[in-house]
Amino acid sequence: MHIPDGYLSPQTCAVGFAVAVPVMATAAARVHKRVRTRHVPTLAVLAAVCFLIMMFNVPIPDGTTAHAVGGALVAILLGPWAAVIAVSVALAFQALLFGDGGVLAYGTNVLNMAIVLPFVAFGAYRLISGNASLTSGRRVVAGFIGGYIGLTAAALCVGVELGIQPMLFRDASGAPLYSPYHLSQAIPAMLLAHLAVAGIAEGIVTAAVVAYLQRANLPLLKVNHPGVPIDAASAAAGRSRRLRLRPGVVAGAVMALLVVLTPLGLLAPGGAFGEDAPEDLDLHALGLSKIPEGLNQYNGIWHSAIFNGYDYTRDTHPAVGYVISAIVGILAVGAVVYALAKVVALAAGRRGSANDPAAPGRVRT
Amino acid sequence: MTRAAASAATPARDRLAVPAWLLQHDMAMCPCGCIGKRKKGSYLAKTIQGGSKLLQQVMFGEDVAKARGLMQRVDPRVKLLSLLGLLVVAGLSHSMIMLGAMYAATLALASASALPVGFFVKRVWLFVPAFTGIVVLPAILSVVTPGDIVLTLWHWHGSPQGITQQGLVAAGRVVARVAVSISLVVLLTLTTPWIRLLAALRSLGVPRIFILIIGMAYRYIFLLLTSVTDMYQARQARTPGIVRHDRAARAFVGASVGALLGKANQLSEEVHQAMTARGFRGDVKTLEQQRLHIGDVYYVLAVVIFAAAIMIGDHILGH
Repeated sequence: MHIPDGYLSPQTCAVGFAVAVPVMATAAARVHKRVRTRHVPTLAVLAAVCFLIMMFNVPIPDGTTAHAVGGALVAILLGPWAAVIAVSVALAFQALLFGDGGVLAYGTNVLNMAIVLPFVAFGAYRLISGNASLTSGRRVVAGFIGGYIGLTAAALCVGVELGIQPMLFRDASGAPLYSPYHLSQAIPAMLLAHLAVAGIAEGIVTAAVVAYLQRANLPLLKVNHPGVPIDAASAAAGRSRRLRLRPGVVAGAVMALLVVLTPLGLLAPGGAFGEDAPEDLDLHALGLSKIPEGLNQYNGIWHSAIFNGYDYTRDTHPAVGYVISAIVGILAVGAVVYALAKVVALAAGRRGSANDPAAPGRVRT
Repeated sequence: MTRAAASAATPARDRLAVPAWLLQHDMAMCPCGCIGKRKKGSYLAKTIQGGSKLLQQVMFGEDVAKARGLMQRVDPRVKLLSLLGLLVVAGLSHSMIMLGAMYAATLALASASALPVGFFVKRVWLFVPAFTGIVVLPAILSVVTPGDIVLTLWHWHGSPQGITQQGLVAAGRVVARVAVSISLVVLLTLTTPWIRLLAALRSLGVPRIFILIIGMAYRYIFLLLTSVTDMYQARQARTPGIVRHDRAARAFVGASVGALLGKANQLSEEVHQAMTARGFRGDVKTLEQQRLHIGDVYYVLAVVIFAAAIMIGDHILGH
């Protein structure tokens, strides 16, 4: 999964750094604030552990190798921000000392393995483990799925980054300048290997370590799980606490998902079924002699679409128009989801306080 | 008294001679496979052995970095910046001739820096086929890179399919660029002691906290690698018979990583206590102040002229 120098254009690498550097800076600041001076030795040791985990390369039939990263594990044990630093330091070693992963491509590699992986893995882990007790089997399963999904998401990012190269950079004869594989080839190649081998490896390592720590070293597991009950009994005691729905988080997650899924639209060939404009209909194939009257009459009844045809520049800058339409669309969806989540949270809050006599609103009245 | 003890010990040693069965070579472990059944080393064993090899490689790197050569004399900051610049130039150049010229330049620099050229070439080209050659190979086909067919291999719906000229150019270019890039990085890291490389990163604006973590992690890698090797050897020593790849083996891997993390956590606590006891307050100061010499200026000039020549040559060849 380490992209070497030469596969990505310098422009792509610059974008990678532009994303990675602010996130790494935020991670350093956040971790510094939380653990003060302790972070230096802890993160150094964890970076070394990540490096060792990444050393175990599993050969894959297509000629490459895949490996677990350990980012999911560090994210579960110490939080995703700590994982950002641990994995990016391990990547720095590999780039500088062992030539594994490029120096120019470092920013992109950090984005994939040190940012996307821990955050996706941690999100999935939190979502699945829910309110389960610290020693429950559900946390082991959540660890496996978190590691699996996190690594697969990172592989998807690598596939997208490699796959956009031949679309953007070609020489005069049409030969690609950098990675030659298209999105439709790069993404399946990356995903197959990582869905089948490396994702499972990351999942097994994460789940096995979580299970081991549950048995043998519970304090280490407790570090990043404040307030989580240790066993089933104390979990039952604390179950009356409700899970709060946070509309901002839900809307943000939906928008992030949309942004990540955007390249899928570029992959799909052909047009959508049943969405042709009347003049584009293949009348002959449909056995019609003319456009049906109703279709003709009601088509285009709404004339004042702002982004008609996903463009507002009247085709002077189609790419800019498309991107702006996409941003506006995603923001609109985010606003709708936020409003819906707000309504649901309000309704749930009202019902919860009606059912629960200990709710603060009730006590005061 | 001592002599008497020594004379008494000699027959005792004879009597306590190593039993014959322990001296016998284990057939299964004969690496050449000439006697008995050849056993393939397990994947785990191979990786752990690979780890100790890695250690040797790094140690060797430190030896070379101390040798007297051209690149060793250049300031690490200058080397680091010129590396980044040359990497960008390699990334931007499209012509195979110019990439070849860059590779030749790295070879010349390697031999001027007391690097064994054979080792340098091997180190780079061991990586290239593994990471790039096989991966790029399918790209020469028209399925991946459509274009002018050079060699027709099969027909698909009547149109010829096979190796395209564009595909060959693209694949060759990626391999050449990867080789040049890896050579440049290896050249830097083999001729710069690790500590000075970190100092150079620091003076180029990488936050101190990262430098500190990188520096400490570098030491812990070797320590933890030894831990892993020890754990694995201890496991092997108490496993009679054939090692099975079953549930217990998987549990062992999970437990090893877990135990490693536990050890690492404990270690970091202890190190932190030791650091705070010695006055660590989250910040470090470096003693060594490095100055640029006139030689560094010449080096920069040479790199800039070379990079410009490559870019201009690339422009001319591209049109």
